[in-house]
Amino acid sequence: MKNFKKQINVGTLLSAFIISTILFVAGLYVGYGISTQKLSSVEKEILEINRDVENFQIQFLLLDVLGENATCPVLKNTLSDINKRSYALGSKLEASNPESEILTYREYINLKKEYSRVLIGYWLLANKFQKSCLSDITTIVYFYSKTCDRCDDQGVVLTYLKNKYGKKLLVFALDTDLDEPGIEAIKKHYEIKKYPSLIINGKLYEGFLGVDELEEIIRG
Amino acid sequence: MILTIINYIAWYIFVFISVVWILVFLQNKNKIRDTTVKTYKLPSVTVIIPAYNEEKTIEKTIKSVLSLNYPKELLDVIVVNDCSTDRTKHIAEKFTSKRVVVLNNEKRMGKAYCLNKAIKISKSELIACLDADSIVEKDILTKMIPYFKDESVACVAPALKVWEKKSFLEKIQHAEYILNIFLRKCLEFLDAINVTPGVFSIYRKKVLEEVGGFDEGNLTEDMEIALRIHDAGYKIKNSHTAMSYTMCPKKWSELFKQRIRWYRGSIQNYVKYKHMLLNPKYGNLGVFFLPMNLIAVFSIIILLVTIAWNYTENIVDSIRNLFLVNFDLSFVFSNINLENIVMQLMTTPMLLGLFGLFFGTYILYRAFNISEDDPSESKMGLILYLLFFPFVLMLFWLLAIIYEILNIKKMW
Repeated sequence: MKNFKKQINVGTLLSAFIISTILFVAGLYVGYGISTQKLSSVEKEILEINRDVENFQIQFLLLDVLGENATCPVLKNTLSDINKRSYALGSKLEASNPESEILTYREYINLKKEYSRVLIGYWLLANKFQKSCLSDITTIVYFYSKTCDRCDDQGVVLTYLKNKYGKKLLVFALDTDLDEPGIEAIKKHYEIKKYPSLIINGKLYEGFLGVDELEEIIRG
Repeated sequence: MILTIINYIAWYIFVFISVVWILVFLQNKNKIRDTTVKTYKLPSVTVIIPAYNEEKTIEKTIKSVLSLNYPKELLDVIVVNDCSTDRTKHIAEKFTSKRVVVLNNEKRMGKAYCLNKAIKISKSELIACLDADSIVEKDILTKMIPYFKDESVACVAPALKVWEKKSFLEKIQHAEYILNIFLRKCLEFLDAINVTPGVFSIYRKKVLEEVGGFDEGNLTEDMEIALRIHDAGYKIKNSHTAMSYTMCPKKWSELFKQRIRWYRGSIQNYVKYKHMLLNPKYGNLGVFFLPMNLIAVFSIIILLVTIAWNYTENIVDSIRNLFLVNFDLSFVFSNINLENIVMQLMTTPMLLGLFGLFFGTYILYRAFNISEDDPSESKMGLILYLLFFPFVLMLFWLLAIIYEILNIKKMW
């Protein structure tokens, strides 16, 4: 056949295009809704922890008035409360799986920043508690970055130890990619240049530390 | 981030293609249901059976052709023995008669050569090609022939099922073949059938001669001839009730070889017929099916590779983690948190994936429906086909692309 022109089902293709676009947009919309829902529940928890940290601060004022014997046990309780919740929230925040959620990525980053601000405040108070009450708790600030090779491993080791030591070990994981002024200030103060880096009871350790090495440090 | 966007695009394409199939199906539902056989002046038919080492099946193949419901004087058979090293020649020659001719090649020349050789001596109006590891149902011709009433139809393809479905691999392929019956029927309505299987596709001899017969250098001559027929402006039809059955690979190694051949052949034909791509002259085939197929293969490869990569990464990570925590197994379990798992699963891509799964299942259901097959007979095959087989096929595609780029010599 010399001159031919085959059929194009423009109508069918066009309606398929419209239907699939509607479905796709609907899917994105519902996905966005779920994602926002997840983040707002995280946000609520951050606020609650923040309130606890503020509460902790007020309890500290009692220290001067009532003395150590009366105040330290109360403080210890509050600290372990916050500790439990902040720890669960940290893994919840990681689990909200932001990388596939393009639409809510910015919100997620903002929440992470907010969370790290709360963490810093919490860490400072924990340090203060350690000094004032001569407590045997260990605080570890953990600096990590997306581009760092062994950060995932370090995270696993810390989670493991956290599970093992419970209340006695406080871990504050700070994401250095966030560009959060508070984190930057601590980094500058301790002159942190590489990741993973740990500040254990105020002392800086650079590079990956395994379970055995860390346990040695914790036990002193 | 880029990977995420590609994932979204891949899901979109998957949903789009599924919607096209479903729309085409729903629009033509009545035509599909209407299986009344139309009458038409019966033309003469030559069945060509190219055979290379098919001693196990060729007897059944020839017998199934000889018992077709068709006037004897209008049907003849040409078996082309492509220098088989087993008893193929001996078995085929037992059938030699006025209606059955056996030709022997001096050297192994390939399937396309065998077909062309037989076409030259055939005097029939229509040519049916039949692989020597396949059989046909008695009424196949009476169901297919009426489509030739339309002079612009150059070829009619039948429905193809798996002959034996004993092993897992065969059961999985059974689901795949059923799906192809559905897709081929939908493609017919779009005038975009891109493969006319070597199992009893019937060609108008006049057109075969006009386009120059089968391409003897091609890896997948059944796809090549289909594209060439379209290129010449003719139509290809499909009868989804005309049943034929073929042996499919029983071993993974055979499947691997078959698919690498198919996919490399596809790539070569894409290159050969690139002038059809996006060319409105070739209708739905040019502007929709060929380009869409190309994009779909690439995006699904990317999608599946990412999924597979994530799974492997997770497994490797958990093993690595065990080393990190001095093989304290309690850690692995203590870290499982239902809420977090739900959180991780409830993502937008997962939601879009559910759409995909829903459409895929609907299409499969319809496919079983129109090919009058019972899905409950092959539950396991179906589940494996849906969840596992796409990964295998994509791996084969990936390898075929790599082989083709590196130009590794053919391995069969």
